[in-house]
Amino acid sequence: MAFNGNFMCTSFKKELLYGVHDFDNSSGDTFKIALYTNSASFNAATTSYTTGNEVSGQGYTAGGGTLVNVDPTSSGTTALTDFVDETFSNATITARGALIYNTTPNTTSISVSTPTVVVLDFGADKASTNGDFTIVFPTANASNAIIRIA
Amino acid sequence: MSFPALNIDINPDMKVEVHTTTNRGFTPEEIAERCASKIISISDSANPAIQAQAHAFRQHIVKVLEFYMREAINSDRTTVYNAILDSGNQELAELIRRM
Repeated sequence: MAFNGNFMCTSFKKELLYGVHDFDNSSGDTFKIALYTNSASFNAATTSYTTGNEVSGQGYTAGGGTLVNVDPTSSGTTALTDFVDETFSNATITARGALIYNTTPNTTSISVSTPTVVVLDFGADKASTNGDFTIVFPTANASNAIIRIA
Repeated sequence: MSFPALNIDINPDMKVEVHTTTNRGFTPEEIAERCASKIISISDSANPAIQAQAHAFRQHIVKVLEFYMREAINSDRTTVYNAILDSGNQELAELIRRM
């Protein structure tokens, strides 16, 4: 059981067609990022947030941190959206990866209350001790943004 | 006539970076570097002359960001100093002022 790469959840792609997720900055859904140890096993088939193998420690609360949405935009023929970098301050934690999930989805067409968006693999255990733990999202352009529809 | 499928997936080369610290917060220099990367993105395939100009501009932006971050930190410290002083803890306020 371990992280083995970044995945966009298949359920998320389907949910986009159902209009489950809204990434608007001011009126959109509330997305969170939860951190996990390498004992977690997530992939494209992951459908909802779980507390299993979630990290614990000073500066981290179960469920993770609330992300700030960046308004969706387009570049050429690619639509994209992004999140503001997330920092867990004064934290003593070790994490190998993360889940981004929606805590306020439109549940008209789905049965889960915290549907996942992406699985993120940090590539190695990352640790902070009485310090800051910051997740830096890739450049928000047509080639690198974390969520892109081409 | 068929329509091309929409491609929605994570770029295999996409990298989420994690920056951490031990027994301290990030310095203005570290944050300024991250901030500049959000403001300026320089393509590896750009004309070398334009790349060089862009890198020089980025370094200038980093320095400006560092300066104003320090200004903000010092200004906030003044506010914190006064708040602690008002609460009657002169010794702690003095420690904050000297940071």
